[in-house]
Amino acid sequence: MALLEVNHIYKSFGGVKAIQDFSIQANAGEIHGIIGPNGAGKTTIFNVISGVYPADQGTVVLDGKDITKMEQYKITRLGLGRTFQNIRLFKGLTVEENVMCAFDPQSKYTVLGGLLPTPKRFAEEKRGRELCRKYLQVVGMQDYLNERPENLSYGMQRRIEIARALMCEPKVLLLDEPAAGLNPTEVGELTELIRRISKEIGFAILLIEHRLELVMSISHIIHVQNFGKTIAVGTPAEVQHNPEVIEAYLGKEE
Amino acid sequence: MALLTNVLTQVFITLISVAGVYVLTGLTGMFSLGQAAFMAIGSYASGIFVVKLGMPLVPAIILAVLLAVVVGYLIGYPVVRLRRDYISLVTLGFGEAIAALLTRMTSLTGGASGFTGIPRRTTLAIAAVSAILAVALVAFFKSSKYGRQCIALRGDELAAKAMGINVIRVKMTAFLLSVALTAYSGCLYAFYMTYVDPNGFDWKKSADWVIMVFFGGVNSLTGSTLGAFILSALPQVLRGLQNYRYVIYAVLVLLIINFKPSGLLGEWELTPRNIKRTWNGLRAKLSGKAGKKEGH
Amino acid sequence: MSLQILLNGLATGSIYALIATGFALIFNVLKFSNFSHGATMTAAAFAAYFLVSANGAGLAATLAVAGIAGAAIALFGEFVGFRRITLNHSSSTYFFVSSITLGTLYEGLVTVKVGSNFYNFPRFFTNPTINLGDFVISTSDIMMFTISMVALIILAYVIQKTRLGRALRAVSFDRDTAQLMGIDSTRIIQLTFVISGVLAGIAGVFLGIKYTLYPTLGSLVVKGFIASVIGGLGSLTGAVIGAVLLGVVETILLSVLGSGYSTIATFAIMLVFLLLRPQGIAGSNVQEKA
Repeated sequence: MALLEVNHIYKSFGGVKAIQDFSIQANAGEIHGIIGPNGAGKTTIFNVISGVYPADQGTVVLDGKDITKMEQYKITRLGLGRTFQNIRLFKGLTVEENVMCAFDPQSKYTVLGGLLPTPKRFAEEKRGRELCRKYLQVVGMQDYLNERPENLSYGMQRRIEIARALMCEPKVLLLDEPAAGLNPTEVGELTELIRRISKEIGFAILLIEHRLELVMSISHIIHVQNFGKTIAVGTPAEVQHNPEVIEAYLGKEE
Repeated sequence: MALLTNVLTQVFITLISVAGVYVLTGLTGMFSLGQAAFMAIGSYASGIFVVKLGMPLVPAIILAVLLAVVVGYLIGYPVVRLRRDYISLVTLGFGEAIAALLTRMTSLTGGASGFTGIPRRTTLAIAAVSAILAVALVAFFKSSKYGRQCIALRGDELAAKAMGINVIRVKMTAFLLSVALTAYSGCLYAFYMTYVDPNGFDWKKSADWVIMVFFGGVNSLTGSTLGAFILSALPQVLRGLQNYRYVIYAVLVLLIINFKPSGLLGEWELTPRNIKRTWNGLRAKLSGKAGKKEGH
Repeated sequence: MSLQILLNGLATGSIYALIATGFALIFNVLKFSNFSHGATMTAAAFAAYFLVSANGAGLAATLAVAGIAGAAIALFGEFVGFRRITLNHSSSTYFFVSSITLGTLYEGLVTVKVGSNFYNFPRFFTNPTINLGDFVISTSDIMMFTISMVALIILAYVIQKTRLGRALRAVSFDRDTAQLMGIDSTRIIQLTFVISGVLAGIAGVFLGIKYTLYPTLGSLVVKGFIASVIGGLGSLTGAVIGAVLLGVVETILLSVLGSGYSTIATFAIMLVFLLLRPQGIAGSNVQEKA
């Protein structure tokens, strides 16, 4: 059984059919690219998988557990991490605190430890900080612990967001347009980073991206969406030569 | 001297409530306009336990705080699930309901004319120590995982859930902590004033606490504490000006909103590191040398 | 339950509807709860009392002056309390604190003028009651009901049918885009405050007639808040339905339980209602965009 199994999900908003019959099977170590024009329902797929809103039909199974109707925070704790299209780091917290927030729900101390400096609190906070340093190191942001994210560059904020998602210790990682707003050098670094974490950590990655050179170079399988429907699935090479995909992207030739 | 003691004791009692409001409003971004009702529950319950049931003081206070927390849980259950805009309105209704209840249950509470005959047990020292402890607890809370999660969900609930934060539970924890602190401050209040009546706990009082938090800096516990000190002492100091004191108070707050919106202290906290930094900065300025580097 | 109680409830509900719509209008456009609305009612009603009705003017003049005073106060509040934070896109904290502070300011100013005394509007009607078949109805109740309903119908017309109303809805939907489309949103916000202020002034006079005038009269605004929570925050139709319901239910509870417990029962009903239908009668559940 695959790590993430999405089976025939549907989602409509009023009259808009945002997802129609989307399926995916993702295994550890794989990178799946999801591409398609704006409004193709890509982010909606992520929102349904991560539990922001439930699917109208179909099921989502994460590592053998049915998460279709589960609450968002529980899904995260079962092993799902995500980043957002428009960076959503927490205001009012430092880089370190931002990343720690994704560890805190699993931190094992009680309200007593929240109010008093108990040994348990001390130990757990230390464990969290160490994990936090580890993941900030992975994304190359270990030197910015006490900075405020809003004072850092876009590219850096993207990487902090990835570190925060890694802190959830995900089995499946959803990256929503991680290269949006980055300059070419940063895109190169990001591509390298995604490839590296995929190899080192070995989870399944789902990647929504508009920059085709990025998606095509690192994805094992590409899903092409258009108006809520999947119009092609296959390796980058297969997809690139699919006439329907060419039509969706370049328009029909007269 | 007696006047100073009186003012200070009341300021310290207020400070405990404001520490609770800081957890709720400053950290978590929720507004309660029924917070004073929890103070009322603390006051009346502890008073009744001691005067009518003859309980010793400490268990009476513990029971009163627990009672308030239980009531808080019942109110909090819908409140933490609702959109933020609703919270202040629901708690407002709750405050009104409690005031009505206290007025109505005459045989137990003395009704509109108030509950009298509570022994005076709160001293300046007890109030001061309690306030310091309350602020210390809140400071620990802020720097714990709870504080971080509160700040995270204050800014972006959806992203917080996506990081595995149980938003409803964290909000409830913050709410109940603030209820407990406020109820405790109510106990001290009852045993200081020796008399409580239902009118003292309306939504204006809750609103005042929010304004104090905001005045000093909504993102800073140090600022909120300072705000509570200044604004709760102000009407007492301005007592000579009678009716004008609330006008002056309001004008002051409006000035802050328009010209220093982050409050007096912004996000600045009184921590050893910040003190050192500020001190070094000052020294550098005074000596006119480039001593700034060592501050970092 | 007698028809008498129902009629009383409708009259009370119509005043609540005036309060609730004035409150909901601001919520609709600026997305915050305007806690200065209550004190605006009090201040406007007192202004009308001292300017005209103490000199023997009738109900029409009193209402007109109260409406103008309410509008002026609301405009002042918009300028000193909300203009800057609206332009800065400040968080809801600031609107909350600002509105409460303005409330404190108005109430403080009223207290400076009148102390804590009670004032009575002169009797506006020669016949305090009207006999309608078997029922005895107070004239002021009928007047309040009629005037409130007329005011609300005019408001509904303005919002649904006029250019101004369309601009107002556009600003409420998305202030920045409306601005880009050439709508002067500051101007529209000012107008919203003016309308809300007029409604506050009228409601203030009615409350003054019903319960006498005193500096903390404005705390009755709570009824308007509860009505708009039941109706669905920001929805004007919801606010009116919620207010009328509240007025009727409250009057019934009052006659059954007496004054203290009816407040508690009203609150309990609101709480249960929110648990069952958190978006209110008319409100739509807004989905946060991910």
